[in-house]
Amino acid sequence: MPVESGPILVVSSVSKRFGGLLALDSVSFEVQPGEIFSVIGPNGAGKTTLFSCMVGAVTPSSGSVRFLGEELAGLRNDQIVVRGLVRTHQIVKPFRDMTVADNIRVGVLYGRLRLRGAKARERVDEVLSRTELGHRAGVRAGVLSIGELKRLEIARALATGPAVLCLDEVMGGLNPAEIQQAMALVRALRDGGLTILMIEHHVHAVAGLSDRLVVLNFGKKIAEGRPAEALRDPAVVAAYLGDETEVRV
Amino acid sequence: MQKLVVVALNSLLAAGLYATMSYGLAVIYGVMRIINLAHAGLMMLAAYATFALNDRFALDPFLSIGIVAPAFFLIGMGLYATLIRWLPRSSAGPSMQSLLLLFGVWLVLQNLAYSIWGGDTQSILTPYTMESIPLLGGRFGVPQILVFLASILSLVGLNLVLRRTFLGKAIRAVTQNRDAAMLSGVNAGQIAAVAFGIGTAFAAMAGSMLSTLYAFTPDFGRSFLLKAFCIIVLGGMESFTGVAVGALVLAFIENFASAYTSIPVSYQDAISFTLLVVVLVAAPGGLPGLWRTFDRRVVAR
Amino acid sequence: MTALLRRHPLLPLGVLFGAFLLLAPTFTGRGTQNDLWNMAFFVVLAAAWNLLGGFAGQVSLGYSAFVGIGAYTTVLLSKAGWSPWLTLPVGAALAVAFSVAVGLPTFRLRGPYFTIATIGVGEAVRVIASGLEFTGGSSGLRMPAGTFDFLANYYAMVGLALATLVLVAWLTQHAFGLALEAIRQDIDGAEALGVHSTQVKLQAHAISSALVALAGGLFATNFQYISPGSVFDFRLSLTIVLMPIIGGMGTLTGPVLGAMLFSILQIKLLASPALRDSYLFIYGGLLIVVMLFEPRGIMGLLERLWTRLARRQVPAVAESPGAG
Repeated sequence: MPVESGPILVVSSVSKRFGGLLALDSVSFEVQPGEIFSVIGPNGAGKTTLFSCMVGAVTPSSGSVRFLGEELAGLRNDQIVVRGLVRTHQIVKPFRDMTVADNIRVGVLYGRLRLRGAKARERVDEVLSRTELGHRAGVRAGVLSIGELKRLEIARALATGPAVLCLDEVMGGLNPAEIQQAMALVRALRDGGLTILMIEHHVHAVAGLSDRLVVLNFGKKIAEGRPAEALRDPAVVAAYLGDETEVRV
Repeated sequence: MQKLVVVALNSLLAAGLYATMSYGLAVIYGVMRIINLAHAGLMMLAAYATFALNDRFALDPFLSIGIVAPAFFLIGMGLYATLIRWLPRSSAGPSMQSLLLLFGVWLVLQNLAYSIWGGDTQSILTPYTMESIPLLGGRFGVPQILVFLASILSLVGLNLVLRRTFLGKAIRAVTQNRDAAMLSGVNAGQIAAVAFGIGTAFAAMAGSMLSTLYAFTPDFGRSFLLKAFCIIVLGGMESFTGVAVGALVLAFIENFASAYTSIPVSYQDAISFTLLVVVLVAAPGGLPGLWRTFDRRVVAR
Repeated sequence: MTALLRRHPLLPLGVLFGAFLLLAPTFTGRGTQNDLWNMAFFVVLAAAWNLLGGFAGQVSLGYSAFVGIGAYTTVLLSKAGWSPWLTLPVGAALAVAFSVAVGLPTFRLRGPYFTIATIGVGEAVRVIASGLEFTGGSSGLRMPAGTFDFLANYYAMVGLALATLVLVAWLTQHAFGLALEAIRQDIDGAEALGVHSTQVKLQAHAISSALVALAGGLFATNFQYISPGSVFDFRLSLTIVLMPIIGGMGTLTGPVLGAMLFSILQIKLLASPALRDSYLFIYGGLLIVVMLFEPRGIMGLLERLWTRLARRQVPAVAESPGAG
């Protein structure tokens, strides 16, 4: 991955309205290449909506999302994936009647890399081993455990060969050991050249992994910066815990 | 201007029947998220039943609604108990399985009518079939007026049940949020059975009414089914008032087209089919959805 | 070769059957050949429909439109002096154009809504075809004299059936098939991984419509007379859909089994007046039974039996960890 000068992703004043509900209110931030950048905030803050707007699953009501200098607003989900920006879903939904390998193959064949034949098979194996699913390759996705399903979700996105990977709560529902594994995987992926955006509730994981983060509440950005500073910001503390609490980070 | 009044009145008369016909589909869809293709067959069968009662016992078709509707209510509940209840429920909306199953039921009903009454066109003739009443410059057929009155009665009745009875409230609750309704103590299975019965009864009422206006064969019902579907999509799939509005809109478009354009009658069915496709594609939220897009000041539900 | 056989254990059977069909005119009578022609016709319709309907999960109840387009193109151009064989690709091209015109708006719809829209489209086509002058209205059209050649038509139809099966097999075994399957299971998920679902659907629709139109053209030449009632009929759309459903949607063998079943059914029905009047009972009953008990059709049943047999053969196997 060549080192880009300048941000790899620029979100400018993105707003999203659902009927009378303003889910996102003019959110702006930049992500540098090779960063692990987290998006946090209480439930309902608009984090998943933000991801949906970025990948084209949902059209923003206003604002722009520029990826490697190109405007993404108005493009379809599949077009954005082909350009190198992909996301995982909070509620994992694999192709249940397909094998784990085939689930991954979809991204290999149709994602950014569009591989065929032997190269495609190699890439599937590569992704399987990176997410430690090799021993489950021929199994029907419907029978996997939740931990395996979460890894499969990452694997499917990884298969597309992205430059930026958006992880939506990959650690939800995992036990502490699995969380450690997940954190190690995220670090490894970044070290391999990816830029990672994460929506995450586990404050410990966020603080431990992120280079920078942005905090949303009620659709608005209320803080941005390095974890240590942002998590100490009184507005952030108030958002999570109510007004009169002190928090030691 | 005069012509417009006549067209408007004709539309109103037709809308009543269309609404009755469409509510049958809407209730079932609302409660079970199932698209009842057998609706067409049930309307057709009810038309034949009305015909048979008229033929054998000289019973006036409108009076026979009092027999046909309750009988079909029971048939509907029976269909639910034997077939529908075994279908797996999919959270993501209506399933192909249910669609095709009810399609099969429709075919069986067609064959049933064919075996009993043959494939010849039937119609019902009453002393007043040919009569018409002059009103506001136009002549309106007596059967059309009676159909309108009957459909208004049925709709008022449905409205009363939905708003004033516990059953009605339960139906509305399950339509809006099945899980929440169950948590509140509603037996969703029973409600589904009753809803299927009501939907079938309304199909039957529409069928009886249609038998006074049109000639019919066992193949009858497909174009009306498509019209009904067009109406509930127009009205927004989950809104009960929307169905009435959709019925008015479709009836008006049809009558307008036949009065003011030279589109031959045989093509008129193509109008509702095309409208159906257009609405499904361009305005999937129906008219309420269009309304919401235009009026941003509408506060979220 | 062995890999091919392992994935398609029934392939040798299929090859034998194909050979039988091709050699049949040398040792069977005309009556049997007619029946085999019918079966080949059904195989084309069922297998082609299955590409979009079974593999991609988009159930269209309007495929008789393509049969009609192929048939009418052949008749009209033949009457204008064309050789019937040359009319076939024209019919296919028109069908493709129509499939795109219909697909562009309707593929935005999901599941049952798409199906209902196709009923609407099919009906609109039939109504219009019955009303137009140059298509002979509701009384239909006749092929010009001298265009009837049963044997040539027979080989063409059998060849088309085999070609359809090979084409569908090739398409579904490679990348395209995975895209179809992904669309069937989770269309949003497929798009989130880079699949341009509308384009894939349009392609499947176009390919299948072309094959069906070719069959329709051959139908016109074989029966020499067509009418909206015979080629634009809703019952034909219904039969086209029932065959793969009952045989097994989304499989290669399913449509063939369904086609065989239906052509046998048709023979029996035409032979006995009593059954002819009950064909809707039979179709409807089959549909109800299949949807209630085994939505995956005969192939689904066979698969269930097979897994049960396999389990009985291997009574107690220790579960080794990670033995996926």
